[in-house]
Amino acid sequence: MSRPPDLVQGTLDLLILKILALEPLHGWAIGQRLRQVSGNVLQVSDGSLYPALHKLENEGWIKAEWKSTGNNRRAKFYALTRSGRRRLEEETAHWDRLSAAITCIVRLEEA
Amino acid sequence: MDMPRWVYRTSMRLRALFRGGALDRELDEELRFHFDHLVEEHVARGLTPEAARREALLAIGGIERRKEECRDSRGVALVDDAVRDLRSAFRTLGRAPAFTTAALLTLALGLGATVAMFTVVNGVLLRPLPFPEPDRLHAVSLAPSSYAFRGIPGMADRTFVAFRERDRTFEHLAALTTYKANLTGAGDPVVIPVGNVTTEFFDALGVRAALGRTFVPDDGQEGRERAVVMSDRLWRTQFGSDPAIVGKPITLNGLRHTVVGVMPAGFDFPRGSAAWSPFIIRLDPGNSWLVTVIGRLKPGVTVGQARAALDAAIPALPEGPGEDRARWTIGIFPLVTLLVGEVRWPLQLFAAAVLLVLLIACANVANLLLARASAREREMAVRAALGASRARLVRQLLTESALLSFLGAGLGVLLAHLAVPALLALAPVGRIPRLEMIRIDAWVLAFATAVAAAATLTFGLAPALRLARRRFAGTLLPGGRTIETGQERFRAALVVGQIALALVLLAAAGLLARSFVKLRGIDNGFDVENVVRMSVELPEAVYPDPDVQHAFHREILARLSALPGVEVAALVNWLPLGEMHLNGDFRIEGNPQTPAFNVDKPAVSPGYFRAMGIRVLRGREFSDSDQGSSSGVAIVSRSVAGAIDPAEDVIGRRVTLESRPAPEDWLTIIGVVNDVKQTGPSGRSHAAIYRPYSQVRRPFFLSHMTYVVRTTPDARSVIPAVRSVLRSVDGNQPATAIGLMDDVLDAATAGPEFYASLLGTFAVLALALALVGTYGVIAYSVAERRHEIGVRMALGARGRSVLWLVVRRTLTPGAAGVAIGVAGAWFAARLLESFLFETAPTDPVTFAAVALTVFTGALLAGLIPARRATQVDPVVTLRHE
Repeated sequence: MSRPPDLVQGTLDLLILKILALEPLHGWAIGQRLRQVSGNVLQVSDGSLYPALHKLENEGWIKAEWKSTGNNRRAKFYALTRSGRRRLEEETAHWDRLSAAITCIVRLEEA
Repeated sequence: MDMPRWVYRTSMRLRALFRGGALDRELDEELRFHFDHLVEEHVARGLTPEAARREALLAIGGIERRKEECRDSRGVALVDDAVRDLRSAFRTLGRAPAFTTAALLTLALGLGATVAMFTVVNGVLLRPLPFPEPDRLHAVSLAPSSYAFRGIPGMADRTFVAFRERDRTFEHLAALTTYKANLTGAGDPVVIPVGNVTTEFFDALGVRAALGRTFVPDDGQEGRERAVVMSDRLWRTQFGSDPAIVGKPITLNGLRHTVVGVMPAGFDFPRGSAAWSPFIIRLDPGNSWLVTVIGRLKPGVTVGQARAALDAAIPALPEGPGEDRARWTIGIFPLVTLLVGEVRWPLQLFAAAVLLVLLIACANVANLLLARASAREREMAVRAALGASRARLVRQLLTESALLSFLGAGLGVLLAHLAVPALLALAPVGRIPRLEMIRIDAWVLAFATAVAAAATLTFGLAPALRLARRRFAGTLLPGGRTIETGQERFRAALVVGQIALALVLLAAAGLLARSFVKLRGIDNGFDVENVVRMSVELPEAVYPDPDVQHAFHREILARLSALPGVEVAALVNWLPLGEMHLNGDFRIEGNPQTPAFNVDKPAVSPGYFRAMGIRVLRGREFSDSDQGSSSGVAIVSRSVAGAIDPAEDVIGRRVTLESRPAPEDWLTIIGVVNDVKQTGPSGRSHAAIYRPYSQVRRPFFLSHMTYVVRTTPDARSVIPAVRSVLRSVDGNQPATAIGLMDDVLDAATAGPEFYASLLGTFAVLALALALVGTYGVIAYSVAERRHEIGVRMALGARGRSVLWLVVRRTLTPGAAGVAIGVAGAWFAARLLESFLFETAPTDPVTFAAVALTVFTGALLAGLIPARRATQVDPVVTLRHE
């Protein structure tokens, strides 16, 4: 399975965009950060992150740049582009609507 | 600043496409970076480096697979895969040279024939006429259908004038005829084809002179200075491209014409005209000569509207004497039909035939591919097991087919490039119009590409689909072997189809060949072995009256008779098999009724019947004593004699060719001869009334004359002497035709011969391909069943029963193919009916012979592998396992 079952379809893009909005990161760090911030609740499988990154790059929402990391290695750092920022806003708004709706339904009092 | 998204995405894709290698390396590095971190993390948790690596690999889920996914996300996977498929297709084909050669050769033959045929069809039928807005150009017919110009009658002068006055749908209407003229005074005298055209002709076509002008209305008035427009070719070849040619005089048929213009290069309509003279309209009631009429429709007027206007105009148009409008051929035809009328149908037929050849070739390649697909079963199974999707495998197979067909098409175009000139050289002279339009152009290449693509689908889809349905379970087991009956049935069906198609073609070719043989075997009523003929056209300006014409002919005949090797020299005005003949009605003395049929009215010299080998049935030939001064005599042909009196001898009876005969117009019959086939072997036998030329006084009947010279064997060697006789009598008169009568006879049957041999070539090609296909299928099934056969033989099967086992596999599809083919040919042969001469389209002899040939061929094709099967050594086969 390329995607953990607990990650709602399509939300991976949103998460990546949000995390990159804070600061440019390489793929490994994105995975780490996601896990940390969500308190180990959300995690992306190691395999599915990269296809998603390449897709976002291809769409022009993020751009990549090779930079050296601490121990003398190169890593590919991803950063949000301007259209990526717009996309993030759209996706966030969409998510807010969706989650509010779901919350509403879940909180319904049973008669 | 953001660039537009599509620009960005396109640039990303292009980068991915062209810098794929660099991107792959980056991807590799990126994933490795991740992988290393993962390993570190696992080590930190206390795993051994070895176990950590394994864990990391599992977590990523296969580096290669992730790479593939990343590549897919770049959106160029399709192109990328196609390139990879293509490369691997090249490799695979290269690894199987025997298969590749066989497949390519088959395809090249099939596609080459198709492309060659299309090149001709394209040039003759499809390419637009070289005139502006050719769609508006049409030929108009309002006349009895005799004397058709390329199958399309025109109209009489008076009809043309009346129609032109009333018509509102055409912008221009022009009438035209053609004739041959002696051009003298510009080097050696030559005969050139001349278009005799009304002055609107050039405006109707929309062409202008390159030098000087075309005709103006005044040029068409009788009594004006004679104007002439010449072709670029004539201007170059006879007048040295003289830039000051306009205004200079030239002599045509002894008459002075003034050059008013030179047309642009390439313009030679109609019929390769070298010059054009103004057509003088003659409205006398006796002129029922039909001229071709062409017109340019006004802009926006449809053919339907023009046709309606034509129908409405008819009642107001004059009828000629004895004409009946109800029997006119009325119509508007695209101008191109005027050019291609006669060859359209044969060309379409050949195009259909060549497509059948292509289908057979495709079936062959499909068979080859199927056989190969079975042989590659393991390869496919391994790839499927390694995760290649089925769609991916199908795509790869289709890529291989596509590569094959496009390489085949390339070879085919090359082959066509060589075959087209050969084809045209084989065609009888003048039979194929618009020769200059026939070449391999962009349309032909586009056609070749389209056919190649269609061929890919035709022969590539079957193996590919089969693969798509295939389950590979078992294929990978040691010794795994599957023989699919479904596939065998499909391949047998291909064989049936091939045999049937080949039989249809062979039957068609057989019918044409048989018809041709009959045509050559027919009794024409004359025998012209060792006869030389030479035609002249005496211009009225130089030989204006019968006395000088008679003197000219007498002089030539005397000199011809004196030549060594000449047995008899004679003349006739309208030679059998000639370009034209005159006929009309006649009257019998004592019988007020005009006989219901027309007769030919040749004027001949004494000795004519001997020279032409026409049998004299009764009475005598003309002699030198039948002179202009003596009373009129005639020799009638057998059917005229039969019409005069079926029972009694007609010698001494009198006939006349005039409708209002004077006393001296009555001719006494002195002999009866055989009917001859005036228009050639495929025509009917003509009734004729012959007169001695010395008693004929009309210049028109004496100006066009053909000398026929019977020689001792080796007539060909006499030709130069015959020609020099003409030169010695009048150096200004060229021979309009000279050669052996045998060649004239050959030319008369050249069309049928060409059709038969061309279709025969296609048929033989088709049969060869079909038999090779049959052989291939049987040979393959023997190879596939080698093991089974080995087991059978080990268990005691005899050679003969093994032979039968294999031959049975040929017999069934062979018989089925022959049966279906005969049924198909039965229907297809009807299309041939108009080409056949005294041969029924269902001629049983041809059908039987063809069916037998094909069946025997198929049987032989199966027998070879069958014999090989009996030589299987069970020990070897079984040990091989």
